[in-house]
Formats: sequence, structure tokens, C-alpha cells
Amino acid sequence: MILQTESPLPDLLADLLGLSGSGVAGEFVAALLAAFIVGNVMLAMTGVAGPWAKRKITAKFTDRIAADRIGPAGIGTIPADALRLLSKELIVPEGADRPAWDIAPLIVAGSAMLGFAVIPMGSGIQLADPEVGLAYVFAVASIASLGMVMAGYASNNKYSMLGALRAVAQNLAYEIPLVVTGVSVVLFTGSLRMSEIVAAQQETLISVGGLAIPSWFAIVNPFAFVLFLAANVAEVGRNPFDIPEAPTEIVAGFQTEYSSVYFVLLYLGEFLHIFLGGAITAVLFLGGAAGPGPESIGFLWFVVKIWAFFLLTQWLRSAAPRLRIDQLIEIGWKGMLELSFLNLVLTAVIVGMVA
Amino acid sequence: MSLQEESETPEIESGETELEALLDDLIVDRDDHMNAPAFVIRPDTVQETLGRLKEEAGYDHLSLVTAEEYPDRFESIYHLKKFDDPTDEVSIVVPTDSENPVSESAEPVFRTADWHEREAYDLVGIEYDDHPDLRRILLPETWQGHPMGLDYDQDRPQMVPLRENANPLQEDQRAESDSDTMFVNIGPHHPATHGVLHLETTLDGEQVVDVEPDIGYLHRNEEQMAQNGTYRHQIMPYPDRWDYISAGLLNEWAYARAAEDLADIEVPEYAQIIRTMGAELCRIAAHMLAVGTFALDIYGDFTAIFMYAIRDREEVQNILEDLTGQRLMFNYFRLGGVVWDLPEPREEFFESIREFVDGLPDRLEEYHDLITGNEILQMRTVGTGILPEEVAKNYGATGPVARGSGIDYDIRRDDPYGYYDELDWEVPVEDGCDNFSRLLVRLREVEESAKIIEQCVDLLEDWPEDERNIQANVPRTLRPEDDKEIYRTVEGAKGELGVYIRSDGTEKPGRFKIRSPCFSNLQTLPEMSNGEYIPDMIAALGSLDIVLGEVDR
Repeated sequence: MILQTESPLPDLLADLLGLSGSGVAGEFVAALLAAFIVGNVMLAMTGVAGPWAKRKITAKFTDRIAADRIGPAGIGTIPADALRLLSKELIVPEGADRPAWDIAPLIVAGSAMLGFAVIPMGSGIQLADPEVGLAYVFAVASIASLGMVMAGYASNNKYSMLGALRAVAQNLAYEIPLVVTGVSVVLFTGSLRMSEIVAAQQETLISVGGLAIPSWFAIVNPFAFVLFLAANVAEVGRNPFDIPEAPTEIVAGFQTEYSSVYFVLLYLGEFLHIFLGGAITAVLFLGGAAGPGPESIGFLWFVVKIWAFFLLTQWLRSAAPRLRIDQLIEIGWKGMLELSFLNLVLTAVIVGMVA
Repeated sequence: MSLQEESETPEIESGETELEALLDDLIVDRDDHMNAPAFVIRPDTVQETLGRLKEEAGYDHLSLVTAEEYPDRFESIYHLKKFDDPTDEVSIVVPTDSENPVSESAEPVFRTADWHEREAYDLVGIEYDDHPDLRRILLPETWQGHPMGLDYDQDRPQMVPLRENANPLQEDQRAESDSDTMFVNIGPHHPATHGVLHLETTLDGEQVVDVEPDIGYLHRNEEQMAQNGTYRHQIMPYPDRWDYISAGLLNEWAYARAAEDLADIEVPEYAQIIRTMGAELCRIAAHMLAVGTFALDIYGDFTAIFMYAIRDREEVQNILEDLTGQRLMFNYFRLGGVVWDLPEPREEFFESIREFVDGLPDRLEEYHDLITGNEILQMRTVGTGILPEEVAKNYGATGPVARGSGIDYDIRRDDPYGYYDELDWEVPVEDGCDNFSRLLVRLREVEESAKIIEQCVDLLEDWPEDERNIQANVPRTLRPEDDKEIYRTVEGAKGELGVYIRSDGTEKPGRFKIRSPCFSNLQTLPEMSNGEYIPDMIAALGSLDIVLGEVDR
């Protein structure tokens, strides 16, 4: 299956740098370079989001000003915060189960990074485009749960343990509706390949007074879109589903015992997951990188879409109460799961009738 | 315990002979207090006496247990009231001999006596027979001596290493039959404990099997501090520090009411109106914080409601700062009135209050949109943290906690003081008995307080300039007669806040006892949360709205 992978960005780089002639080694260097670029773009985005944008957005919701000391609109707080966080003492709890304790933050952050490998971000930025793109992205995104369990279990802390157990319970309850809803999109496209899913959404659905409305799946099937968004918010663990962390209940859940660099990694991982969640939503339902203007600025539209999802999570955080774990599980297994299967069957019927 | 003269009859006479008849075989003496008749009984008949008073005479509210050591005896006083009519009071005095201070526990009759008697044991040293769990409550379990006892040595070193303290993890906490429970310390440093509260929690998965509040981290024996201060000036600053969540004026009133009644001081009407207005402003500020922090508990950090509540509370604080000169520790009341008149220019001050009060309905609308109208919040709070009416009464719960359980009890209306009985307002009561009801009661009380403030401003605006008497004539030094005892309560932000004073003929109180509403309210936590999920326990704790400064005193 993997052999059927296309790799747009590495190919492009290879062509540009004249590496295409050097065989496997050239491909390897080009792929590394491409991965380096994509990784850095995503890390830069989380860097902006974590220490600065998040604060400013929340402040707007709650009538505050937030960071405004360094640089215009306080943007200079990003390097300051980075320095502060990295220079803090790393406290290792007594009885921590190492190396699991050390690996966990890497898994949480890394799993999200892996997901970006198959996301078509527009403007030709896509590391790889395997046949099984969608399955791959769901698979790697859920590896984060493993990281959370490792973190919670290895911390030798009861709050961490509770947080880890909650994380697993929550992800089990929401992964299935998430994937099943995602599959309903596949029924339309007939392909798991990300680029084809995006391509399928580019046709015009209807024209209203000269304005062409594209056949984004969010417009074609809004029900699935809402379902997917809700499951996605649960998947990335944000209000009203921030139960694995639940600061007022179990302190900080699975990450209670982490400090300094490890904390930064976990924090980074969380934001990466939000952006990955946004990216999957954009690809599946919002036409990927599509937007007005030439195709070359597609990446900008893509960034706008994933930041819109980020904004949504921050909005929910300011305004939505947290559910109780048992209520969440109940909604997941008794509500979302049924709705997602219903959606799947309905979509299948509609697709069957149209086709 | 010296027998009072017949001329000093208490205020309430009705039913006194009936009480005497009811307790005929139990009474050994009379020792009337200024606020209530008091019967002296033998230490082994406490349960019998209180049981009869509760079941047959309807005294269903054990407001306070006061303990004191005298040179020849120990004494516990049970201050009883009726939830239907708090002016109908009776005190039961239980002397025990000083060699072997053992008295029967009232816990089987009133659950609330549990903690009150533990405190009496901790600070004074009276032991209670038949008490389910007689341990120290405010001081560390390794503390040597009883600080309010007469032979207490202040200079005795109290350095006890940590290893001497009981370690709940040392023994296996798991019961043999149930090996799945886990012991967790929630607090003293935890995001949801609203201060330094320690909850010793036993969990079965996510469910709370048992929770036991461990208090005393903020204890500094405010009672003894008050006993070392003179009535006139030195005590008044302390009440601000009990419930320090900007409820200062309400607390000051508790002391003022008791001391003024003790020394027979009449407060001028004008000062009463200022007091009433100031106290209600404090109540709004306190309830705003309560609602805001409750939202934190349910929503998680960074919720908009908390910031909105703080923003609105800030406006109240600005008004209070104009009035008292302080933002937190007001020290504004004086015995016989208040320390100074309203700030000049008065019009501007009234304008600022009116502006706030007029804007309040819109803001409350916003709160209802954001909080009470939110389906998820309703899922979380409706039907959780259940505190049935009878249980609430048994635990001596008061304030919004009681009113959220359908108990129509408000000292401002039922035992009027200040200017409340002249004004037009209502007591909000909800009978849902759950977290949601307690939240609703607080939000509705803010509305009522605003009504009161508005009426006070109307009155103050029209008050003739030459009749603005802010303080009665009070002697420079107050020396109430020897051995007068009084227990007076006011409606604080968290509930019934009371002060018991026994005068000893000097300028300082012989015994000063604080009835903290949070102390009694917090006792209900296990009742509300055992068997529930952790988040519900946190919500229940938030809905109790405790302030550790007042719990620990």
C-alpha cells in the first residue's frame, strides 16, 4: 500500500535542488528537507498559539488585555516564554517509571507531528500522499493516547493515573464516532487518499447568483460536519471535554508531574493535536486548501482554516462547562456512536441513489 | 454558672414554664443568658435533654457549642434555636468537673455537634463521651495541651516532626472486602479547594467512597485574640479577617450586634441605614466571587464567567472603598454606629451606587445566559450534591446552603436587626436541594441585596442634614457587668454568623466565641458527595462557598 505513495513536496524539492538524479539518496535528502520544513511550520504555529495567541484570544473573551509588555501586542512574549520554560528545573518525581516517563512527552508531541505528513496543505505542500492517507492520519493521531497513558502511569501520582484512565476512556468513546463519521466522507470520494478527498470537494455544488458554492462536505453533509467537530473536540481534549486534564478536579491529569522541557513537549503536543484536528477537519469537510484566489496561496487558506478550528476550541474553553466523565462516556457510546452510524448509513443510501 | 437574679429575666418568656416542665427531671439549675433562658443539666443527660428539646419542643437548630474552662469546672453550652423562629432560643449549660472533664456527646441528636465538640475538645479540653470521632480538629493531631485551657503553657515547644503525624497511607487503607479503593489527598494545595483545605478522600475509581475534610491550616485562634482586645476598639478589626472574601462589614456586624446588646448601646437610625447598605454591598461582592469560583470549578480555568464576576465585584469594591477607605479589611463599624459619614460629595457617591444597582439586572441576565441557562451546566449541577432539608437542619447548615435546600431561614428577616425590617425585600428559597439550587439562591440574593441598597440610598439621600448621627455616645471604656452572657447572630454572606460573649467585669471579654457558618456548612460535604463522582464533589464543595479564614478562624 505504502508503495503507492506519492510525495509532492519532496519531489518538488528534489527537482528544485537538482537531487532527482542522485537516486535513493537524493530522494532521502529531499524528503528530510521537506519534513524539516513542514515540521518547522507547524511548530512555529504552535509556538505562536501556545504562549501568545491563546492568551490574547482568551483575554478577548474574558474582557482582559493579556500579554502586552514585550513587542507589539505582546508578541515578544513568545521568545521570552520559550526561554523561561526551557530554563526551568526539570523535576523528576520519586518513583517515576523511567524511561517511560521520559518517552511519553515525545510520543504525545511526535504522534501529532507524524499526522501532518499526509496533510495536503495547499501550495503543493504535502510530504506524502499514500493511498491510505485518512486511515494513517487517524491511526497516528490516536497514538497520543498511548503517550498519555504512559505519562499518567509512569508519573507515580494518583492524579496522573486518574487523568490517564480518563484519557483512555474518553479517546475510546470518541475515536469510533470520529472515524465512522470520517468514513462517511470516504463514501463520497471513494478514496482514502487525502489529495483525492480534497479534489472531490472542488466541484461547484450550486451557483447562487454567480457565486459558486463548492461542494465542501461541510455544505453537502452539515450533519456529519457537526458530528465530526464534536468528536474532534473530544479527541483533542478541549472544553467541554477537557476531562483528562480537568484542572479543578485532578490538578492537571496525566501531566501533573511534568515540568520544564517535558512540560513544554506535552503542551506543544496538545497544541499540535488541536492543529492536526483542525487540519483533518479542513481536509475532510472544508475543501482542504481551497479558497478564493490563485491556487498558489492555498496554504494561507489552509492556515486560516486550522486557526478557525483553534479559535473554536478557545471559544469553547471560555464559555462551555466541562462534562463529567460518566456523562461524556454516555454521550460517546450512547449518542455519538449511534448518530455516526446513522450518518454513515444515510450517506451510503444517498450516495447509492445518486450514483 | 452563678445563678442570675430573678430580675434579670431573658427576653423570651413565653414557653419558658413549658420548657421547665418538659425538662423538669433534668434541670439542676438556671443560668440565664441575655438572649435566652439557660438550663443547667448534668453531663450524663445531654442526649436526653437535647433530644427532648428537639423532638418535643421543636428546637431543631443547634447553632453553636461553646466550651470554656473555669477555675472550678469546665462548661459546654449548647445554643439551640428553631429554624422556624430563630428568636426562640434556649441554652443548655453542661458543667463538668475539672479533674475529669467528660460530658456526654450531643452528636447522636444533632450531627453538627460532631465538629463543634471536636473543636471544644481541641481548644478547651473537654472530652465527650459517645462521640464518634473525638480527635483534634483545628490543631495538628500532635499538639500538646489545649490552648484555651487555663493551665496551658504558651511557651511549651510544639515542634513535632512530620513522622509523628498519622500517615493515612501507612496502614492499608483498603478494606478487606473491597480492594479497589484508593486514598487521595485533595489539598491542602489544590486548584479547587478555595484556600488551604485538605480533603482526605477515598476513591473507588472515579467515585468518592468517603471524604473527610481536614481543616485548621489557617487557624490562629481568633477567639483568643478577641479575648485579648478591649471591646471598644481592639476587637472590631478582627472580624474582617474571618470571612475575608470582602464580606467584612457583615462580619463586623456580628460582633457589633453582640457587643451592643451586651453593653446596651442604641445605634442611631442613620447609622443603621449606612450599615445595612454597606453590609448588602458586601454580600453582593461575596456572592459574585462565590458564583465566579463555582464557575471555575464547573468550567475549568479561563472561563469568562469568573472574569465577569470579578469585574462586577470590582465595582462594588470601588464603592466600598469610597465608603470605608479600604478594599478588604474595612474596619468601618464602631460600637454604636460607624466610624465616619458617607463620603463627600454625597451626590457623586449615591450616583455611583445607583449606576451600579441600575446596571445589575442586565449583568445578572448575562450570568443567567452564561451559567444557569447552559445545558451542560444544568447536566452537571441539577440533581448532584443533594442535601435534603432534614439533613441540612441536622448539620446546622445556614445561609444559601440552607435556602438551597428549601429551608426558609434568614436572620435578617426572622430575627431582624439594622434596618432590614423597615425595607421591602424577599428571602429567595429554592427546594431543589442540589448544587444548582444553591447557585440560583446566590444569584437571586444579589438581586434582593440590590433592592435593599436602592432603598437605603433613597433614605440616605433624603435624610435631613442635621440628623445625620453616625455614632451613639459610647463610653471611652466599656466594662459590661460581670458574668453576663449573650449570643447574637447575623446573616453573613455564608449563613448564620454568630458571636457569643461572656463578660467578666473587665474591659475585655471573658470568653469570645465565634459561630462560623462555613464551619457548619462544610460538615455537610461528605453527606453530599459520598457515592458521587469526583467532579460532583468538587462542584458540591464550590457550591458550599466556604472561606477557610472563617472555617479555621
